[in-house]
Amino acid sequence: MSSLTQSSSSTPSYSSGVPSSAAHYRQPPAAAGGAGDFFDLGDILASQQRVPAQFEQTVYRLGFLDAQSSGEHIQSGAKMELPLWLARALGGRRRNIVRIDLPKQYRQQQRDILRADANVVDLFKQGPYFYLMGVKLLFFDHMERSDLAKSLLETFLNRFRRIMDTSHHAFSSDVTMFTTRLDETERVLFHIGQRSVAAMEKWERGRSHRIEASDVVQKRRKRKRED
Amino acid sequence: MEPAEVEFLAEKEQITIVPNFSENKLYLISGEFGPFNPSMQTRVPLWLAINLRQRQKCHIVPPDWLNVDYLTEKKSEEAAESFFTAMPSPNYMEVSSLVLNNAAEDVPKADEVRTLVKDIWDLRQAKLKKGVDQMISQQETFAKLDNLTLMEMNCIRPFLTAALDHLHLLHNHATSYTSSQAD
Amino acid sequence: MTRTVKTFWIWCAMFGEKALELVRELKRSQDGNLPPYNDDGIRQVVEEMRTLFEQNQLEVRATTDGERGLLSGIQLRHACLERNQRCLLAYVHHRMTRIRDYRWQTGSVLPPSFRLSLCEQEIQWFTRYNRSLATYMRSIAPTGLDLTQHLQPPKSLLVEVRCLEDYGEFEMEDGTVVLLHKNTQHYLPRSQCEPLIRQGVLEHIH
Repeated sequence: MSSLTQSSSSTPSYSSGVPSSAAHYRQPPAAAGGAGDFFDLGDILASQQRVPAQFEQTVYRLGFLDAQSSGEHIQSGAKMELPLWLARALGGRRRNIVRIDLPKQYRQQQRDILRADANVVDLFKQGPYFYLMGVKLLFFDHMERSDLAKSLLETFLNRFRRIMDTSHHAFSSDVTMFTTRLDETERVLFHIGQRSVAAMEKWERGRSHRIEASDVVQKRRKRKRED
Repeated sequence: MEPAEVEFLAEKEQITIVPNFSENKLYLISGEFGPFNPSMQTRVPLWLAINLRQRQKCHIVPPDWLNVDYLTEKKSEEAAESFFTAMPSPNYMEVSSLVLNNAAEDVPKADEVRTLVKDIWDLRQAKLKKGVDQMISQQETFAKLDNLTLMEMNCIRPFLTAALDHLHLLHNHATSYTSSQAD
Repeated sequence: MTRTVKTFWIWCAMFGEKALELVRELKRSQDGNLPPYNDDGIRQVVEEMRTLFEQNQLEVRATTDGERGLLSGIQLRHACLERNQRCLLAYVHHRMTRIRDYRWQTGSVLPPSFRLSLCEQEIQWFTRYNRSLATYMRSIAPTGLDLTQHLQPPKSLLVEVRCLEDYGEFEMEDGTVVLLHKNTQHYLPRSQCEPLIRQGVLEHIH
């Protein structure tokens, strides 16, 4: 573990996991359960999702990253799908090594579908971090950026009511079907709502005063039973 | 907060009891209570009343709002108003729950009373959800909700704050990226 | 020099994959038990970081010596370095949070099953955290104050409990000893058996 504390020759800023010269862009904290975006596991996974990118410069000696070519270098014009974190390090403001395109689920056609009826769309399949990734895509100076930003907001607003209402319902197969179509952020929200309702019901039934085994112990018991 | 913690705070509210024992004044942190004489009504904090009742050392006098007549009228009032009406106690849910669960015999028509309280709670919950939905969908930054009780607020607080956080995130991006903004 | 570098990299697929695996492993386990400390995984990620760093050092030196066209490669490797670092830190941090939560929710003693999932440094951290917490709790009141108790407002002084396993002898604060055999029931002071209930030794009946 001590090798982790070895500092590299340039001390990068840790504020958002992005090289220091781009740190002037402050990413708001991951919402709905994210405990600060640097350490948040969800945020890391969200930034792993891939985005279509085109190289605008030749990148030497890293040609092996391009599965479609056998060259030693990545040629200018090469198209690849890069994880968002890498695309961000190479593209965006003041960096133009790559230029990105919006992934399919964020393009005009899909945005139109969402505008028609946001509630029928399976955002987990589009994600699973649909909102988080969408917000990260806004970092890039893209023609459709403001449209995308509006679309993300409207989508959430339209889906919100149903999430709130369903989280107050008892556990059932309909509810499970509903939650499978929620993206990760929405799921966290849903579970928060459910927990409040469950706590309230437990209190009303007079079971709140009972001391319970801790979560860790309960999980272990559950696992033993399943084995 | 957990509902149990809200209940803990509510237990400070005072209620009338009829003790069946004799005891001198009690000097508690929250004040002086007693002396206690059989059949003489006296006011004590709810937690003490419940404790004494559980040990069968008193009867509880239901608060003047915890009865069928008052609650029936309250329920119609609540249903007629689109806003939250003022409740007779800021801890109506906790008080009724504790009294009904521990001293149901002291409350006439206890089952009916219980149902009425639940009905009022449900009416208010529905209003609360409507208010929250409006707040989110209109992207309002604050909403004024008079007469909400702590227990009601506590139910919605985790969900609402999480939703508002997410809304804030999306809203900031939507407003900061106008198509004319240069890099 | 170029050739040896290339041969090495063909084997290495995409950067950051191993680090991401660590993050995924933790995310999957959020509703379950803490997985064992992935010593091997961490070592592989650190290796990848070392190689990236050394390669970058070489290319930075080459650039100052006048070679051109290396900057984008350096930037790419640097991004990968930072990504790996972030994943590793998040891995360690997340585990630390869960271990700390264990202290608050369950108790100050690590049962063997939980202990097995922790690496040596994590066990040491837990011990030090325990000590800090104990010191603090002792200092805030003349007789000390157990903050990890009464996570919910207590409703009674005594509680009725059933013993779920053969715990053996349990000494109370006043010196009396209770024999906790499986399936026996007892009426005990809440504050003293709360930890045992949380650890799953006792079950709170009433």
